[in-house]
Amino acid sequence: MSADAIKFLTPDMLRLFSPELALVATLVVILVAPLIFGRSSRVAGWIALVGACVTIWLTLSVAGEVRGGGRSGLAPQSAAGMLILDNLSVYFKVILMLFMVGVTVLWFIGSSEKEDRGEEFFVLLVGSALGMVLMAGTLNLLMIVIAIELASLPSYAIVGFNKRNRLAAEASVKYVIFGGVCAAIMLYGVSLLYGMYHTLNVGDIAYSVVADLQSYRTVDVSGVAAGVDAMMPAARNMPAIGVALFCFFVGIAFKIAAVPFHFWCPDAFEGAQIEVTTWLSVSSKAAAMVLLVRLVDAFAAATGALPFAVQISSLSGIAWAIGIVAAITCTWGNFSAYKQDNIKRLFAYSSIAHAGYMMMAAAVVVHPASGASHSPIAAVLVYILIYVFMNLGAFGVAAMVAWRTGSESIDAFSGLGRRAPWIAVPMVCCLVSLVGLPPFGGFIGKLWILMSLGEAGGTLYWGLLIVAVLNTLVSLFFYLRIVKAMFFADDGLDAFTPSIPGTAMVNACAIVLVLLGVVFIQQPRDMANEYAGNLFRPNVLQQRDQRQAGGAPGSSHSEPIRLTHLDAVE
Amino acid sequence: MFLIGLTHYLILSAAVLCCGLFVMMTKRNAIGILIGVELVLNSVNINFVAFDRYRPDGGFDGQVAALFVIVLAAAEAAVAVAICMNLYKNINTIDVDRGDALHG
Repeated sequence: MSADAIKFLTPDMLRLFSPELALVATLVVILVAPLIFGRSSRVAGWIALVGACVTIWLTLSVAGEVRGGGRSGLAPQSAAGMLILDNLSVYFKVILMLFMVGVTVLWFIGSSEKEDRGEEFFVLLVGSALGMVLMAGTLNLLMIVIAIELASLPSYAIVGFNKRNRLAAEASVKYVIFGGVCAAIMLYGVSLLYGMYHTLNVGDIAYSVVADLQSYRTVDVSGVAAGVDAMMPAARNMPAIGVALFCFFVGIAFKIAAVPFHFWCPDAFEGAQIEVTTWLSVSSKAAAMVLLVRLVDAFAAATGALPFAVQISSLSGIAWAIGIVAAITCTWGNFSAYKQDNIKRLFAYSSIAHAGYMMMAAAVVVHPASGASHSPIAAVLVYILIYVFMNLGAFGVAAMVAWRTGSESIDAFSGLGRRAPWIAVPMVCCLVSLVGLPPFGGFIGKLWILMSLGEAGGTLYWGLLIVAVLNTLVSLFFYLRIVKAMFFADDGLDAFTPSIPGTAMVNACAIVLVLLGVVFIQQPRDMANEYAGNLFRPNVLQQRDQRQAGGAPGSSHSEPIRLTHLDAVE
Repeated sequence: MFLIGLTHYLILSAAVLCCGLFVMMTKRNAIGILIGVELVLNSVNINFVAFDRYRPDGGFDGQVAALFVIVLAAAEAAVAVAICMNLYKNINTIDVDRGDALHG
């Protein structure tokens, strides 16, 4: 053990870990830079931009090595890796860093219109980005908890960054208390899971849970499934597993802002600065969504050895739970958005609704239809990609209007089509795309999710599909309220010229959305299919059992399992 | 003959958890709620260490996890108290029921 423990930090592992290390280095440089350049938030902003670009470059440079299958590492040799580098984490890192560049650019645009606001902003921004990157690349319970906290703690502080603003102070207190409670409950779930299965590796826990569920359903209640360690049979009962999994998923639902753990979201978004709202609206949800997809996939993969009928029944509870939460989240978000006047609050509820759409696809991951042409994971990835551009564009326009008029209410948009047509038109593109109508990217993103729901079939998925379509109709009304204010209401407010870089950025977002909706319809999905194709699954127990089974006749006719290559550190 | 076993630790942990949940639900003072969170985290630590002590194969993941939870609790307390200070400077109270400017 001791020899293993010091050998796990090999140069090879550290090289694969270099994108995260680059983010850490960025943090340190931002903190040290004031000693050399004096306190300047512009310098910090440039360092963050460079750090994001370096991270993208490093990610792409190690991406080739995991194209054929993921790797995990940074753990003693006998244990499953703490961190995972596979196509999915590469994809998420690149998207998140691109989005961080976008948010930093938005900050630069805003800083030319407001006073200097302190370089700590970027420390917190990069810190939360690091946490999100780690969230997307781990299946170790301890690492998941640390990553979520690392993403959350800077987020709490950044929401209250404007110290003299009463709303910001209140928003950050609500956020930190809600987050602290959810994190504590999540940790309790983690400790129960550890107690029941004696491992922190989700791959093994999923395998054991599935084995337990199977024995519970088919054999007997108290018996221990064959092939699973009889470590603590007394603790393995359904209520305990249910409570532990529920507590664990509370923490993830908090990050996704799934109903009923969404209460922080509108308040935090309204109180925070608009750049912060932009950042949190996409990144925290996308990271948690990637983590959720990974977790659900671990459970789905654990059923791989079972006959198909048992596969369906053994995890349908999880599918129903995620599906129902997704449907409620989506509906709640859309109906609550309808009565909002503050644009940030409206987008907060809109982001809750979008998280609901993505969760619907995550529910499909539970039951991977064999030979499915519409991978639900790919649908989520495409949706995240498109959502980045929709939100960056919409928030960019909202930010420019808010900075000029000093008001964040929808009334500030009245007559924008006349006052500033160059940002009003891209705003329409982004809003229509957020509704999910052609010819914009949002339609394509939603289409893939609906297709994967339809292909999965069954009561639950058809029900979710209907809910999603009805919700799209509802969302039409509140997004079009903004359009109506911009083009059909005119209070005779002054025309203004928005800043050139800002106009360029939102127009670029709108153009990308049109391209994604008209020209490049298939390409993002092909790319996402490739990136979602081979998730790394650290299933130590499952592989050991397969080796022991040694191709017994019982296992040969069941679903073939995609073998992960659990990679030895050396 | 009375032996202390895993069950005793789990009962202790459950009791601390219940205290923590009770405090979180009844306190209106932000610091009070944070103390409730700390209690829950302590029950998590008792769980981790006890499960680790009584696991048959002698790994030490649980002990490591408990150390990390202590660090997380400290970090979270630092951030949360700073944020509460900030609220106090703005509205002269940390009663969470008084933070009602954001709603809807």
